[in-house]
Amino acid sequence: MFVLGIETSCDETAAALVTDGKVVLSNKIATQLDLLQKFGGVVPEIAARRHTELIVYVIKEALDSAGKTLADVEAIAVTSKQGLIGCLLVGVAAAKSLSYSLRIPLIGVHHIEGHIFANQLSNPQIPMPHICLTVSGGHTMLVYVQDYCQYELLGSTLDDAAGEAFDKIAKFLDLGFPGGPVIDKLAVRGNRKAFNFPRPLLKAKTLDFSFSGLKTAVINAFKHRIANGETLPLEDIAASFQEAIVDVLVSKTLHAVLQRKVSAISVTGGVSANRRLREVFRETCRQEGIGVFFPELSLCTDNAAMIAAAGYARLKQGKADDLNLNVIPNVPLEVQGGS
Amino acid sequence: MKVLGIDTSGYANAVGVIDDNQVLADFTFEARNDSLEKIVANIDFVLKEAGLSLEDIEGFGVGLGPGSWTGIKVGVTVGKILAFSTNKPVSGVPTLEVLAYQARNMPGLICPIINAGAGDTIYAAFYRTKDGTVSRAGEYYVGDIQGLAEMIKEPTVFIGAEAQAYSRLINQALGSPDDIRAIEDIPRGSVVALLAATCLERGENDDVLSLAPLYLKESTAKAFVNRYSRSVQAKG
Ligand SMILES: [Zn+2]
Repeated sequence: MFVLGIETSCDETAAALVTDGKVVLSNKIATQLDLLQKFGGVVPEIAARRHTELIVYVIKEALDSAGKTLADVEAIAVTSKQGLIGCLLVGVAAAKSLSYSLRIPLIGVHHIEGHIFANQLSNPQIPMPHICLTVSGGHTMLVYVQDYCQYELLGSTLDDAAGEAFDKIAKFLDLGFPGGPVIDKLAVRGNRKAFNFPRPLLKAKTLDFSFSGLKTAVINAFKHRIANGETLPLEDIAASFQEAIVDVLVSKTLHAVLQRKVSAISVTGGVSANRRLREVFRETCRQEGIGVFFPELSLCTDNAAMIAAAGYARLKQGKADDLNLNVIPNVPLEVQGGS
Repeated sequence: MKVLGIDTSGYANAVGVIDDNQVLADFTFEARNDSLEKIVANIDFVLKEAGLSLEDIEGFGVGLGPGSWTGIKVGVTVGKILAFSTNKPVSGVPTLEVLAYQARNMPGLICPIINAGAGDTIYAAFYRTKDGTVSRAGEYYVGDIQGLAEMIKEPTVFIGAEAQAYSRLINQALGSPDDIRAIEDIPRGSVVALLAATCLERGENDDVLSLAPLYLKESTAKAFVNRYSRSVQAKG
């Protein structure tokens, strides 16, 4: 079954064609990176305007590059939950119109469920149940994935998302945007132990995260050095900061694995592309005898292939939506089968 | 030519269907909070009332605004996708022109007014009638009602959802001349369809890929953006 996925929840206008929730025929993303670099972050109204201009273009690109036409499409999946309201509504308006025009099923997908399925696309062998850490500029969550479309939220960030912390520190250090990749690159040449930055909530029982204290500590350390007229070891700051984030993410995920007695971890979202995060996860999981899975790089950041895959799974479970589908900007991934 | 017209730029989903000069169906649904939720159901209802299905439609008209930023994104996206998926042409129509056309039988200058939603700001423009059509005279106006009043130099009819209130303010500003009239009205889908049909019949289609709303009032950050370049990356 050919499912067309549409994703416009934040700043990427994306469309993809996926067969049976498994094979990615095309995965197109019109990135708004130029705007992001201009403003140092997402400006919701500007992002939504760009979606309106690009949506048909991107859908056409996804079809053309897959060598298909709209007549081949058998279902439409769209991100309808979790994101910027003005952005979400462009994708949903497009998806509803396509569903009506083509007389094919419409499936609304929670953005986070999409990220969970990004890893399903890259690694269909992930055992169920497992723990999914989904971590990006917009969210940081630990989810118990009991089975397809059956989730339990175990913890999430109380303040900044991990990717947001990367962005803010990169902005503070004047390194550019987005922060994750630049810090990842800079950190390779740095000393991870140069600064002992705090690991917020690391020892706490909770599976929630907090990164704003870490962010403040990094900024203070930087200012302290400046005030003392010392040279600025940017690489060391980047490496030590990244190490603190990675440490927290990996430790909390392992806590969740022990609590739920599962044997596998899936890491998704934009930050799952981080090389140090992958390295530490792989090393730790090897020692502990736990399987760890990452999506291929093109599926880490927001994309529509993951939405198509999630939509297919929901459709198979009879969870299609009707043409009155609306957007819900802020709603948790629901427990046990809902959404 | 059978044309479906939609306008969701205000607090309503206006949907109409015409066949040449005949209005087959024309409905306005209150949609202050559920424009997106109801738009497809509204279109389906109107098509059924017209005795048509989507396949019978030969072209699409879409109200471009100005108006609610959220509202116009819904209408423009729906119009573009319907045109794209049925492989039929689309024409965007400025909502101010739709309103002006609805006052085309009145004498004098026509001034449609749309509330910009925030504070005292209004969108307006002046139109003149000729042979049953309207054409815009001058630039679009974005500002307060006093500023608009200063531009009134001849008998004028105001049209819009709050035209009465605005015309009273303008009367005060002008020292109550008798030449100010007001029509309370909102844009109609059938008029969007009619104006779009005129363009489509002349072969003046809009590009379904790039058609965009008419915002007029720029968002604050947008003021810093010049024309941005497009970048579509293949990822997979
Ligand atoms: Zn995301």
